[in-house]
Amino acid sequence: MKKIKIAAGIFWAILCLLLILVLFPGLNNFSSGISRFPFMKINPNLTGGEAAEQIVMKSCTLVVRKPVFDGLIGERKQGFVQIDWRGNLPEIISDTIDYDLDKKPDFVIRIGRSESSTVLKPLNPKVRKVGISTPTSYGWSARIKIEK
Amino acid sequence: MDETVNNPSMKKSFGKSLLYALPMFLITFVFITGGKPDFSDPAGTLAILATFLGMNILYFLMHYTGKTDKFRAIIFIVFALSLSFTLIRNMLEIRHSMSFSQADIVECKIPFCHLVIPMMILPAAFTKSIIFPGTILGGFANISSMAVLWLVATLVLGRGFCSWGCFYGGWDDGFSRLRKKPVIKKISDYWRWMPFAVLLMVAITAALSLTPTYCSWICPFKAVTEFEQVTGMESAAKAGVFISLFLGLVVILPVLTRKRTQCSFLCPLGAMNSLSNKITPFTVKIDKKACNECFKCVDVCPLFALTPEDVKNGKVSIFCSKCGKCVDACSRKAIHYGIKGIPAGSMKKFSRNIFLFVSFLFIAVFSSGAIITVIKSIFNLFI
Ligand code: SF4
Ligand code: SF4
Ligand code: SF4
Repeated sequence: MKKIKIAAGIFWAILCLLLILVLFPGLNNFSSGISRFPFMKINPNLTGGEAAEQIVMKSCTLVVRKPVFDGLIGERKQGFVQIDWRGNLPEIISDTIDYDLDKKPDFVIRIGRSESSTVLKPLNPKVRKVGISTPTSYGWSARIKIEK
Repeated sequence: MDETVNNPSMKKSFGKSLLYALPMFLITFVFITGGKPDFSDPAGTLAILATFLGMNILYFLMHYTGKTDKFRAIIFIVFALSLSFTLIRNMLEIRHSMSFSQADIVECKIPFCHLVIPMMILPAAFTKSIIFPGTILGGFANISSMAVLWLVATLVLGRGFCSWGCFYGGWDDGFSRLRKKPVIKKISDYWRWMPFAVLLMVAITAALSLTPTYCSWICPFKAVTEFEQVTGMESAAKAGVFISLFLGLVVILPVLTRKRTQCSFLCPLGAMNSLSNKITPFTVKIDKKACNECFKCVDVCPLFALTPEDVKNGKVSIFCSKCGKCVDACSRKAIHYGIKGIPAGSMKKFSRNIFLFVSFLFIAVFSSGAIITVIKSIFNLFI
């Protein structure tokens, strides 16, 4: 029994040695392997959710994302909707958004880029307040807090 | 007892040490240079050579002197400093600031670090997604490669990751070595369970809020890497917590106690890594027959991993990071690196040789990128 234990310990140690030897040369392959696991995607609470609608305007594109209510188990009551403006943005951004795509406007948002001011006018009682409004590498993004 | 028979010195002759260092020399050369050294950039070439030679000299000295901890600590501390330097430099180049903005969060551009891992597990299981605003693949410090590195290191080294892999641990390891004698000598061992409480708290809060709460509110290393731009009361409070915890647990207490207090009392990943000590083959063993219960090992252990009871029972606790400090301190060589299954007191040299090879190879290659960047920047100032 003692000898079997010793042999098993040494075997496991040698296996670990081999694992470390292949780790660095194989890192890219292992990483892309692990990236294919079903849970290896960023939560919509952080990405802002998938695009629901794209509206191409004169100099920029307006992207309305799907509302995000994702919780640990099921959906939460409170969530947000992210709006992105991509391209050459005017100094003052002013848009009326229909985030639930029911053909009725839900809020009007007005962003003054130079003074970083964001004013929200809710037209739907489910729209609460501005969460994030920030310049981005592609233009501007705003997250508006909403209720289900 | 005949100590020369039961407790052989770990020292080797010059020639034998060179022989042991040769495989590391060749393998690190291939791994660090990628097998195709590029000598077109003089500063870069010098930096690679200096890193490669420095590391291999340290490895040679581990065999030649039979001591581990002081040589390990050099690379561990330099790694921590270099990583912070590299990260900050990267942040300054890309963002012109050490703080990240809301845009970086919205665009999921935050570099990933392994301390997030304990918070990812529950949300990954329930929501099939990662609650960190980083990149899955590609870009600087992506989630997939950091996860693979941590996973393999933890499987192989267990909590040894906390002395041979983590690019933060070197900070409190470094500060814990500044004074020769501790000012605060008595700290209850119960505190070593604290990281499990932190682990539980951050795992639950992160799962409920689906945000990495430890990173947002607690992590002391934000003070030396990157943190949220101070734009209001909340972000100012967070910055205050980061800086206070860094000063208290990473600088002041380690200096006063000669212990790694952040790693011992706070880090939730440290707690998780402690559990992984159960699966790794490498361990630290106590040969009860050779031990005279002087408890020098208990005094020097920086992670509260040894108590007098542990020594009397001949078992090192799960908190051990295999730093080697106790092994070096024991004049009777009663405490030593071992492999599970091999009884304490036997095959000590063999066990140490394999453990050193595995753990040193990991830290040498993992840390080389950051260290080369720093040395290159220094050379660039003069060349
Ligand atoms: S306890 Fe945490 S910070 Fe310390 S070395 Fe381990 S993982 Fe790193
Ligand atoms: S230092 Fe060595 S001899 Fe002293 S208690 Fe520790 S293991 Fe025993
Ligand atoms: S028990 Fe020894 S090897 Fe383990 S952490 Fe303490 S000093 Fe380091």
